[in-house]
Amino acid sequence: MDWGYIQNVLPLYGKAAWLTLRTGAAGILLAAIVGLLCAAASHWRVPVLRRITSAYVEISRNTPLLIQLFFIYYGLPKIGIRTRPEACGILGLAFLGGGYMAEAFRSGIEAVDRIQEESALSLGLTRLQTFLHVILPQAAAISAPAFMANVVFLMKETSVFSAVSLMDLMFTAKDQIGLYYRTAENLFLLVGAYLLILLPLSMLGSVWERRLRYAGFGT
Amino acid sequence: MKNIRNLTAIVTVFVLVLSLLTIASADSAFRTLDEIKSSGTIRIGVFSDKNPFGYVDEYGEYQGYDVFFARRIGEDLGVTVEFVSTEAANRVEYLETGKVDIILANFTVTPERAEKVDFALPYMNVALGVVSPDSRVISDLSELTAEDQVIVISGTTAEDYLIKNNPEIKLQKYDTYANAKNALENGNAAAWANDNTEVIAYALQNEGYTVGIPSLGSQDTIAPAVTKGNETLLNWINDEIKALASEQFFHKDYEATLVDTYGLDYEESLVLEGGGLTE
Repeated sequence: MDWGYIQNVLPLYGKAAWLTLRTGAAGILLAAIVGLLCAAASHWRVPVLRRITSAYVEISRNTPLLIQLFFIYYGLPKIGIRTRPEACGILGLAFLGGGYMAEAFRSGIEAVDRIQEESALSLGLTRLQTFLHVILPQAAAISAPAFMANVVFLMKETSVFSAVSLMDLMFTAKDQIGLYYRTAENLFLLVGAYLLILLPLSMLGSVWERRLRYAGFGT
Repeated sequence: MKNIRNLTAIVTVFVLVLSLLTIASADSAFRTLDEIKSSGTIRIGVFSDKNPFGYVDEYGEYQGYDVFFARRIGEDLGVTVEFVSTEAANRVEYLETGKVDIILANFTVTPERAEKVDFALPYMNVALGVVSPDSRVISDLSELTAEDQVIVISGTTAEDYLIKNNPEIKLQKYDTYANAKNALENGNAAAWANDNTEVIAYALQNEGYTVGIPSLGSQDTIAPAVTKGNETLLNWINDEIKALASEQFFHKDYEATLVDTYGLDYEESLVLEGGGLTE
């Protein structure tokens, strides 16, 4: 283990960690929005949208992120749509994550008893009010563990970004090993950096899950 | 409390793995010549996406200049060749971990690499080159503006050269040849820097591209590599390369694999017979 070398490459890993965090966070945020919209569409049984949503969920969950990134980065420019590597990474993550998030939210929404919705409607709440104030808070509590699992999963998926020339943590390590053959040092930094990002994330997740555990009326 | 206990466990495992890693990296596992012969197969690391040096053809067979030589090695050793596909960045690791016995993947000899692996006698000459689209041919690195990016493949001599000599140039790195070529076609960068053999082949095979810089940096050579310390195998390869000079084997190799791409013009400048020792 050459500590001098580790000190030299540390800034590179800092940059890579920042890229991983930045693209990961943006992708996850978009994925959550997409997932929520999809879950709402299937809850309200919006005629055509419901079909499109379920097709999208199946496609996004049953194709690897690597293939989705290839499609966006190498395929779309052939028909004139060019994305920058970072945007491509975020879009890919949002596409993949959207499907997973939709399923997480849908399972939460379906777990809320129908009587809740019926009671809210009979009390004079509109459908939107019912969804926002009655169903969603309970569904969120039920979905929280699945949601957090998805967040950690999506964060880890950033490790295939090397395919679109993004210098994320994984590619930085690979590149350094290829250039200077310091395998042990770079694997150490790689695992360390991922743990540093993911451990607090999953701990935060479990604290948050416990906070949200108030659902379950009417069951 | 439970969280803290979990954390301690994770850190302990991490440190354990780490110490294993350090021990493992000191111990290199290679197979001697006799072990290879008695096993009946030799594992040779080649490229699968670097036409015409090492690639998989439409029938799923490995082909190319490096592969032609690899097959001959198998023949003369009396063993079957098992091809292992490599990427540029993991060629040294494949040898260090004993995944392959020989790397024959257009491996340029450099002092840094020679510290990690043992190179046999060279069988080809190479320099760096830069290819760019006809719409804007880059004939000198100074023509690149601050916004321009140059494609390189991670773990190649081109990447190393540009980092050391032109740190101001923005590099766009890819892990495979296939991705790098695709990115150049899509216009993601101003140019692509790589071995000149590779970029010349690219410009000849793809219309609309010109090698504006045919030779950059120093003239180098390409040689087979074995795991550090594997002397029996290294000596055998060296003897083999010397012996093959009498039948001008690498000229035959060129005429079988490279002539379609380069024509006969590059034969004398690229091919090295007998490790170039007689010249």
